[in-house]
Amino acid sequence: MHSLLLASVPVPYPSWLNTGDNTWQLTAATFVGLMSLPGLAVLYASIVPKKWAVNVLAMMFAGFSLVMVAWVLWGYKMGFGSTSLGGGVHNGVQTQLSGVGWVKHFFENFVGKPGQIANSVSEQGRAVSAANTAIPFHFPTDTLAYFQFVFAAITPLLFLGSVLGRIKFSAWCLLVPLWSTFVYCIDAFLLWGGGYFAQEGAVDFSGGFVIHMSAGVSGFVAAWVLGPRLLRDRQHFLPNNLVMAAVGAGILWLGWNGFNGGDPYYAGADAAAAVVNTNLATAAGVLTWMLMDAWLSKAKKPTFLGIVNGMICGLVGITPSAGWVNAWGALAVGIICTVVVWLAWNYLSKVRPFSKVDDALGVIYTHGMAGLLGGLLVGIFADPNMIEYGCGTLGPNGQVVNTSGAAYATTSAHCTPFSVGGWLYTGSFHQLWEQSRAALFVIVWSALITFLIMKFLGLVLRGTRYKDDVLEVGDLAIHDELAFPEDTGTLIGAGSPAAAQVEPVADGARAPARRRPAMLGPGVWGSGGGLLAPGSVGPPGPAMA
Amino acid sequence: MKLVVAVLKPFKLDEVKESVKSLGCSGMTISEVQGFGRQRGHTETYRGAEYEVDFVPKVRVEILVDDHEVDAVVDGIVEAAATGKIGDGKVWVVPIDNAVRVRTGERGTDAI
Repeated sequence: MHSLLLASVPVPYPSWLNTGDNTWQLTAATFVGLMSLPGLAVLYASIVPKKWAVNVLAMMFAGFSLVMVAWVLWGYKMGFGSTSLGGGVHNGVQTQLSGVGWVKHFFENFVGKPGQIANSVSEQGRAVSAANTAIPFHFPTDTLAYFQFVFAAITPLLFLGSVLGRIKFSAWCLLVPLWSTFVYCIDAFLLWGGGYFAQEGAVDFSGGFVIHMSAGVSGFVAAWVLGPRLLRDRQHFLPNNLVMAAVGAGILWLGWNGFNGGDPYYAGADAAAAVVNTNLATAAGVLTWMLMDAWLSKAKKPTFLGIVNGMICGLVGITPSAGWVNAWGALAVGIICTVVVWLAWNYLSKVRPFSKVDDALGVIYTHGMAGLLGGLLVGIFADPNMIEYGCGTLGPNGQVVNTSGAAYATTSAHCTPFSVGGWLYTGSFHQLWEQSRAALFVIVWSALITFLIMKFLGLVLRGTRYKDDVLEVGDLAIHDELAFPEDTGTLIGAGSPAAAQVEPVADGARAPARRRPAMLGPGVWGSGGGLLAPGSVGPPGPAMA
Repeated sequence: MKLVVAVLKPFKLDEVKESVKSLGCSGMTISEVQGFGRQRGHTETYRGAEYEVDFVPKVRVEILVDDHEVDAVVDGIVEAAATGKIGDGKVWVVPIDNAVRVRTGERGTDAI
């Protein structure tokens, strides 16, 4: 009698929804979102000269917003939709795992059918995607959609670092949605959404290939087509605020706990392992770059920005393997990726073609090369005993029951635990081979499509680079804003401050009529709201929140 | 009336200020400037790239002084600011045509 009553207590969740998984997934997604805004925004805006800070911030916020809209309207379904163009993936099921020639296999498992997820059914229904064919998701579509959105959003923001300091704002605002649609969504479906490379066995835990390597290559190609910064800028490009750079870098590091910790899609043991592996590889990266600067650089001093670079190399390097390597592997990955990138940064940069392309913040090294190397190292260091998905038993209420650790890790009639095996443990190069094939595609596709988009934008906008006279001025010419304005500007149309005061009256004279200050209506603030208009006198308006 | 201008190492400012106050000077204006003389600049490294920085941060001190006190003030500044190392700075004296105290309107030496 008692248990019957308990069974009929209303609960606002469908049985497939696990609140722990949903909570962690949304939390992890928010962490990753913070990595973009304000993390990366503040980091990049702080390491460019003052005159470019506003331009960087504006492109960061605009880029993030553009991807969000595109994602809900068509992007999510392209990357993670349950059905592919051509039908190789159908309702979340991969139907062509065997028995199909490679051409058909590739083109029918290439990208998801574009579509919106804007209506209530799409948003709140259970997430269904061939991204996870081992077990169904225990959270709704919107959770998966938002989680994947924040990854889609940060990717173009990463390669903003290659093109900043001269790309037209309008070119950026068109580049982002086009690139996201034709490069990111396709790479995502192929490697994560259950598409061709996923079916072939290539893996990318959180985006070493799809995000970092792709961003590095795309940024490099975009920078090459775009042309360089002003010569004077290239000679004088000192950071404007290392303290704020540290704020951005710190958010980036700790936000990555969500980046890698959220990718198992379950709030379980592999999420925890991914978090520890991530932090370990990052710490190894920091210390490696720091020591190489102190021992091997010309100045022989450890530098803070070197520490930040090392941090990024570790973070990017571990991203393709975070939940599949053990801690020894994570240490190895962090050190190897950082050593290679440090050498590339200091030596390869002096050699063609790297010396000929103005990749302003060196994204090709810290993201492109670290991502490629990290993704290949999966094929060496992945430990098959690091189980991402094991074999648990669910009760009728959708919660785990009666599963011991041993049972979880053991193959049964209806379940095989999922893990990845690298050469160090299996003696086989198969995984490395699959990684290489996927890497080659992502590199070639990213480069080709970015090239075409940049050429197209050059035609449509009559050039994607600002003229030199705009570049000489920077923020003030492009946005009418300075990042650190002096308070010497006067609000236009307000009249002089003296007009607001009553003039002293001499004995016997009539008081002169009080002159009212000019009405401070919205038009007075100037174009764009004039939020940072220097030297505003008068009462704070709505824009001053 | 003279304007004594001194460009000095920033960490010497406190000693110079105390020295000048003890001589009876009632005010000064300081600004943070950059400069170089015989002192060479330095290099800074950001993201593995070395930048040559010719200018060195300095402090500029300006004091309005009556004619008969100029030598004492200049000597006081030099004694307080000297370290014996390159980059100690320079002091110079500029003749002043007139000065006015803003609050009271006093002119000439009354303004000092």
